[in-house]
Amino acid sequence: MEAKQPVLELENVSVAYDSQAGMVQAVNDVSLKIYENTIVGLIGESGSGKSTLGNAIMRLLKNSAVLTNGTIKVNGKDVYQMDKKELQKFRWSQMSMVFQSAMNALNPVLTIEAQILDVLLSHHKKMSKKEARAKAVELMEIVSIDPSHLKSYPHELSGGMRQRVVIAIAIALDPKLVIMDEPTTALDVVVQRSILDKIKEIQKVKKFAILFISHDFSLVSELASKVAIMYAGRFVEVTDSQSLKQAEGHHPYTQGLIHAIPHLTADEVSIEGIPGNPPDLVDLPSGCAYHPRCPFANERCRIERPAISKVNNREIECHLYDVERKEVVKS
Amino acid sequence: MKEAASKESATLVEVEDLVIKFPVRGNKKNRFITPVDKVSLKIKKGEALALVGESGSGKTTIGRALVRLLKPTDGKILVDGEEINDYKGKSLAKYRQVAQMIFQDPFGSLNPVKTIESHVKFPLKKHQGFKGQELDQKITDLLVQVGLTPVNEIRKKYPHELSGGQRQRLAIARALAVNPQFIVADEPTSMLDVSIRAGILQLMNDLKQELDLSYLYITHDLASARYFGDRIMVLYGGKVMEIAESKELIKHPLNPYTQLLLSATPGSESQINLKDMTNEPPDLGEGRKGCPFVHRCPLASNECKEKMPALEEVSNGHFVACYHYDKEKIVF
Repeated sequence: MEAKQPVLELENVSVAYDSQAGMVQAVNDVSLKIYENTIVGLIGESGSGKSTLGNAIMRLLKNSAVLTNGTIKVNGKDVYQMDKKELQKFRWSQMSMVFQSAMNALNPVLTIEAQILDVLLSHHKKMSKKEARAKAVELMEIVSIDPSHLKSYPHELSGGMRQRVVIAIAIALDPKLVIMDEPTTALDVVVQRSILDKIKEIQKVKKFAILFISHDFSLVSELASKVAIMYAGRFVEVTDSQSLKQAEGHHPYTQGLIHAIPHLTADEVSIEGIPGNPPDLVDLPSGCAYHPRCPFANERCRIERPAISKVNNREIECHLYDVERKEVVKS
Repeated sequence: MKEAASKESATLVEVEDLVIKFPVRGNKKNRFITPVDKVSLKIKKGEALALVGESGSGKTTIGRALVRLLKPTDGKILVDGEEINDYKGKSLAKYRQVAQMIFQDPFGSLNPVKTIESHVKFPLKKHQGFKGQELDQKITDLLVQVGLTPVNEIRKKYPHELSGGQRQRLAIARALAVNPQFIVADEPTSMLDVSIRAGILQLMNDLKQELDLSYLYITHDLASARYFGDRIMVLYGGKVMEIAESKELIKHPLNPYTQLLLSATPGSESQINLKDMTNEPPDLGEGRKGCPFVHRCPLASNECKEKMPALEEVSNGHFVACYHYDKEKIVF
């Protein structure tokens, strides 16, 4: 079987922040592949490193953060081997990003049209203004906004419409990879659903790959086909989203999350929180970073960081994961 | 459950035709908007009523009126049989011992220059009159009760040293310090990490059982409303669209808006594609009439534009405000 080239390939990626307390590992040795026309979800709590990873892929890390190890390839090209000019061309035409605060990602003093034209014209040197305007109308139609709003300023649009504009700008150059960092977090559920349905529809046509970053477990497991669960900078589990319907057979943290979320339709409603608090990256627990909150943890978890076990389509980073029984076993 | 059935619980909070208007400046057409329009509700002793709606539906405004952080324009609020609309000064201060509020943002609702201890010490002294040894013991008890342990270490800390979940626990402890009967919890978990939310909801639930507390639980999340609320009330554009027992509402939503909300919530089984669903906000302006959902509703008729349908009881405890609801037909 000939393997297709992944749109995004992360290999042993580590990102560290240079802080007063020394180097802080925000992303720690993660690997992942995403293929075209798929949505991969990245779930994590605040401080788990999920947004840092998103920024690292775009090579948008701020001064104090650096890629300390590993390679990031988009469409087979190493993002960190490009010179400035190459990167400028590559970014947005091959990979784009929908930012967390998309509500504020637009420039308040420019019309929507000006902002879309800016993206189009700076990448297509030969495109005429007229062509660009026609393309802008087309983009607005793709995201279901009346093109008359091209003349509007961001504050004249509702939050949901602004978000659609941001998505239109992200797909303006037909990128192969779109990173979406909590794109619907600030929106009402109905608006959220309508935007997600829209994204799925556009993806069917354009076939780009999506890395969907979110803290919303139920949302991501519904939307994505594959899900990476991040804890303290590491992927503790990468699994197909179907499997998340059951609590069994997962990493203890994933299990904990599944138990912590009230389900809408299940007959029995009981939930159970995960004890303790998310870890402080400056002072990470030894061994497996989840051990202080893990109900299964033993002596080994405190000392030694677990290796990744691969079973079928699942990768789990836990000492107690029994490959034969496909579940976490308390020893 | 059995106990509750044998002694039919008394109504603690009763709201009748609550209207709240806010003035609008600089708009000639509308001098005011009406974010809450003729809302009636009842909360029994020991009951949690979940108030669900999107932003702008008026849910927070109702919550604030019930703890009298703002004064209603019209209508009646009775708590324990007493009308609280016109409370001010001393009577209002006394009412603070009956009703308390937990706010959404635990990073903004605590005083950054006061220790954890002093957040609960003040209400214990001022409202409950505890002193000396007894006061000290009471502080310890409260912090233990909300799970802020080890107490001796935590009581001397400042809010910035606590995690989001711990801060919200402190906010709960502070509310409990006056020994209230009724708590308005306004999205108490929406700013917390997913793994922490369940713990806070569990704590609120435990306190409800132990102290026979009544809650108005304000949320936009139907799944948590179903977990925490005994009943759910759905609000849209300042009007009550539907009320029912939580399970019943999720299983048999009748109002088209409830159905829309439900099918949009992650985890629902709905397969309906909402890609082109508009989200034009409802008209809250002066002289509004009819159902606020009319511009988005597939069942809307002329009647709906003219007059808001009354809340009608369709089965035991299940109330719907809609002319065209159909038990057999789900529109969303």
